[in-house]
Amino acid sequence: MLTVDRRAFLKASAMAAATAAASGASRAIALPVLEPRDGAPLRWQKAPCRFCGTGCHVMVGTENGRVVAIQGDQKADVNRGLLCVKGYHVGLALYGRDRLTTPLLRRDGRMVPIAWDEAIDIIARRIMADPKRFSFYGSGQWTIPEGYAANKFVKAGLGTNLIDANPRLCMASAVTGFLSTYGVDEPPGVYDDLDACDVAIMWGNNMAEMHPVLFSRLVDRRTRGEKVTIIDMTTRRTRTSDLADHVLYFRPHGDLAIANGIAHLLIRSGTWDRAFVEKHCNFRQLGAAPDERTAPAMLGVPMTFEEYARAVEPYTPEKVAELSGVSAADIRMLAELFGRRDIRINSLWCMGMNQHTRGTAINCLVHGIHLLSGHFGRPGDASTSLTGQPSACGTAREVGTLCHLLPGGLMAANPEHRKIAEGHWNLEEGRLSGTIGHHAVELFRRFNTPTAEGGDISTIWVQVTNPGQTMPHLNRNFRPKRDLDDRFLIVSDVYPTATTELADLILPSSMWVEKNGMYGNSERRTQQWFRMVMPPGDARDDCWQTIAVSRRLLELGHAGMKDRDGKWLFHTTDSGGREVPIWSWEHYYDVNVDERLFNEYRAFSRHKHKDLAPYAEYVKARGLRWPVVQHADGSWHETRWRFSGFDDPYVERGREFQFYHSVSGDDRALIWFRPHEFPPEMPDDEYPFWLCTGRVLEHWHTGTMTQRIPQLHRAMPKAYAELNREDAARLGIRSGDMVTIRSRRGELDLPAWIGGRGDPRPGDVFVPFFDEAKLINLVTLDAYDPYSRQPDYKKCAVAIERRA
Amino acid sequence: MASTPMMPPRASTIARRGWRPRRLAGAIIASGLGAAALAGFAIGAAGPRPAPPDEVAGMPVPAGAARPGARLVPGAPPTRPGARDPAAPDILWRLNNPAGVIIPESRANPIAVADKFAARVAAMEERALLRAFEGAPPVIPHPIAGLNVETCRACHAQGLTAGDSVARMVSHTWLVACTQCHVEATSPIGDGAAMPGNDFVGLRASGYGGTRAWGGAPPVIPHTLFMRTNCVSCHGEHGYDGWRPDHLSRTNCVQCHTPAAGFEQLSPTFGQPEPSPWLRDALGALP
Repeated sequence: MLTVDRRAFLKASAMAAATAAASGASRAIALPVLEPRDGAPLRWQKAPCRFCGTGCHVMVGTENGRVVAIQGDQKADVNRGLLCVKGYHVGLALYGRDRLTTPLLRRDGRMVPIAWDEAIDIIARRIMADPKRFSFYGSGQWTIPEGYAANKFVKAGLGTNLIDANPRLCMASAVTGFLSTYGVDEPPGVYDDLDACDVAIMWGNNMAEMHPVLFSRLVDRRTRGEKVTIIDMTTRRTRTSDLADHVLYFRPHGDLAIANGIAHLLIRSGTWDRAFVEKHCNFRQLGAAPDERTAPAMLGVPMTFEEYARAVEPYTPEKVAELSGVSAADIRMLAELFGRRDIRINSLWCMGMNQHTRGTAINCLVHGIHLLSGHFGRPGDASTSLTGQPSACGTAREVGTLCHLLPGGLMAANPEHRKIAEGHWNLEEGRLSGTIGHHAVELFRRFNTPTAEGGDISTIWVQVTNPGQTMPHLNRNFRPKRDLDDRFLIVSDVYPTATTELADLILPSSMWVEKNGMYGNSERRTQQWFRMVMPPGDARDDCWQTIAVSRRLLELGHAGMKDRDGKWLFHTTDSGGREVPIWSWEHYYDVNVDERLFNEYRAFSRHKHKDLAPYAEYVKARGLRWPVVQHADGSWHETRWRFSGFDDPYVERGREFQFYHSVSGDDRALIWFRPHEFPPEMPDDEYPFWLCTGRVLEHWHTGTMTQRIPQLHRAMPKAYAELNREDAARLGIRSGDMVTIRSRRGELDLPAWIGGRGDPRPGDVFVPFFDEAKLINLVTLDAYDPYSRQPDYKKCAVAIERRA
Repeated sequence: MASTPMMPPRASTIARRGWRPRRLAGAIIASGLGAAALAGFAIGAAGPRPAPPDEVAGMPVPAGAARPGARLVPGAPPTRPGARDPAAPDILWRLNNPAGVIIPESRANPIAVADKFAARVAAMEERALLRAFEGAPPVIPHPIAGLNVETCRACHAQGLTAGDSVARMVSHTWLVACTQCHVEATSPIGDGAAMPGNDFVGLRASGYGGTRAWGGAPPVIPHTLFMRTNCVSCHGEHGYDGWRPDHLSRTNCVQCHTPAAGFEQLSPTFGQPEPSPWLRDALGALP
């Protein structure tokens, strides 16, 4: 509790310092203890929430070195004081009783505690022995500096691109959608669109449970007397449906047909926005595939408006109704809304459109109908993907911790881009590799394939994620490792997980407010926080772990750990220019390593107009949305609507819109035609049900944190199979009965829940994936989108039977 | 939270659990108070009236009821030489604000609480059963069938007391997605795997109420007002025993009771980052 105002406090510390100096003490006392007026050391500090990509800010109450309370941050634009049940309980995530507190090494099948020095040495020697078969696997929960350090370590240090991260499983199709449409990643719109739209369309998006604070931002407008129409396009009834004006049930994969059906009607009725399209858009489709096994190039080939109109011609409302299951009348209703110029429409999606074997296509199509109808770039008119992880955008996408990227949106395969990166990192020309690494599924497939059969990855270092639970088709992509003796899995985490189960070396990590950090949320907002409490036992920051291994490699003589002048890649000095030994944990917090790494990384942000402000600006703000530009008076200003002349400083003066990263090079966005296609696996006689996996309000992703929070665990204690009532009756299944869900890949027993949290359509079954004791990814399919390489966890064929 | 039982007992049980252990001790204090108050009233406002137990220094506090909540509010201003004894009643204030005279507590408060002191502590304990820390959204101590906000509003819009059960009035009516923050205390799908437990210890308020500048001053509000603007949620008819004022007829609460700065986020000094070596390092010269 800071009842002491900051200025007064600083004055006090200055006095303390002066007193110390006067009394002859050799060093000024740096940190006097805060003494609030009532004598209690309760203190509140800002941090973004640890969980989802919404990016709510919380106020963290700490007392005696422990987190004791959480409040929603009223000064935060994102959440304005409100949180969801996970956010209010985020402080409890630190205090599960089984925190990992010491490094553990597998010896003769048992995990034994070892010292940090030994752990770091083991990793360094393992990499030194075979750097080309080592890969990092990180996370959208990596802080920005953590991701930057890991990225630099692999790409500049080891000279490979063998690093990927879990946003591949989560946001990759949104990325390819933005790249294909605007030529640059991340949404043009922002959350302010939620406040301004007349119509919000959920594209397979249970926003009430997945982004509850944003959903409240939308529905609470009704309490204020505003009218906002919510259209829930979904494959199952959810809590979002309960507050929607229209619930449109579609068949799995039917979204492609719906989007094309809207385009068809806009053109047929002449309600498309001719002026906007003629001025700001080009049309595009996929070209011919180079051969049968390779997908056509992602950026496609141009087509004319007439060709586009002919392409969507077959998607009549009746045809779309047949393909998608949504009635022709409802397709017309959607098209009429898009055809109106007097309303603002905000399309919102998350995993429904991204975890999709045609994820890139559906992302492009939804952007396309917004562009075709001119519902773009004015407050309320936007097509916005919502992120699942707190820094999928900030770290994986912006820092570029993926196997094909360099920081700041630069591409590893592009020689010009590599040259730029080599410049920033002070590397000799040619150090960076142009060979892209392995995307997540491919990486784990290789790790789980014997060397003799082409499995050429022998060591993976996993940080801040849990692939042992999240990889699709675990029996192929995670579990075989158990029997491959030459494989070595290193896992940095805070709790035992399905991944640490197969780990050979476990490193205990600090989490959230136990370390300094920065995140970047779904709306391009970069956020910062300071360490508030100490990590338990011997747990240490992930970023330090990476830096320490880099230092050990330097000591072992790895040439890549030096820049072209022979300086260590993570060379850090204090304000007096003296080197700080940040590789030693005792000295890691002598300087703010986050600030050093961030300010270094910042230089990359200019190349794609994703400008970041200096670190100090984020200390003051509740996050800032890039591009953050400096005005003549020295102040820094964020940008809300990208490509819109009224708000984006990079749009040329006088232009209403300018897509300045246009794929076609003429400042225009692309309206794509992509056909409706059927998914790779569909229900048949043997496996007659569609399986959809997903999340629930109480648990965040694999539940390693939220299942350790009693309030959340008790409210949602286990995974279940959500069945349609008619199907259940037909199969003689009642709520609570155990059922077996079986696919061609694996099976799982679960209790049935009928008429529960949600309600699937006949022929569908839904299973949440949070429960470590019930791994639904034993059952899922590992087919993925050919461009984003993001797997489809939402559709595969299963059989269901009641267990005796 | 590990030490707090998570299976919420029925509301009636909760109320009784909080009450009983302290009823006797509390009653003694309260009867003494009652007598003193009566005496004070009889002799006009001339005699010194003992302040309520919660703000008198040195007042015995029931065993086990430490006063962590005291930290939630700013302390009394320092006594200046020549200032009045802070414990002395402000006679003028009492004369001008004879709330107790307009509506005697017996009428204003439909559920007569003989022992306000114990009841306040009991209320905090009842709250703690459903909350990870003071300020956390309470879990829902009953099954929920419908998902629609209207099903919540049926009881919680106006508040309801039925037998031993109390449905408190919602204090943030503009929020309609109730289940976003409030989850069931137990799941309809039964237990899951046993988890290793959690050592979180949440912030607790004492429930004694806010501090006062002097004996008769209106207490400050010892909690944030954000999402708690409807005072009658907790302090009205369906609120907590012991938390009801003796002047329920007055409706503009914040006229006299101001929020304590410690919880008030919009206060300019709330939640400033700790000036640390890194911050100085990052910010360079501080303003």
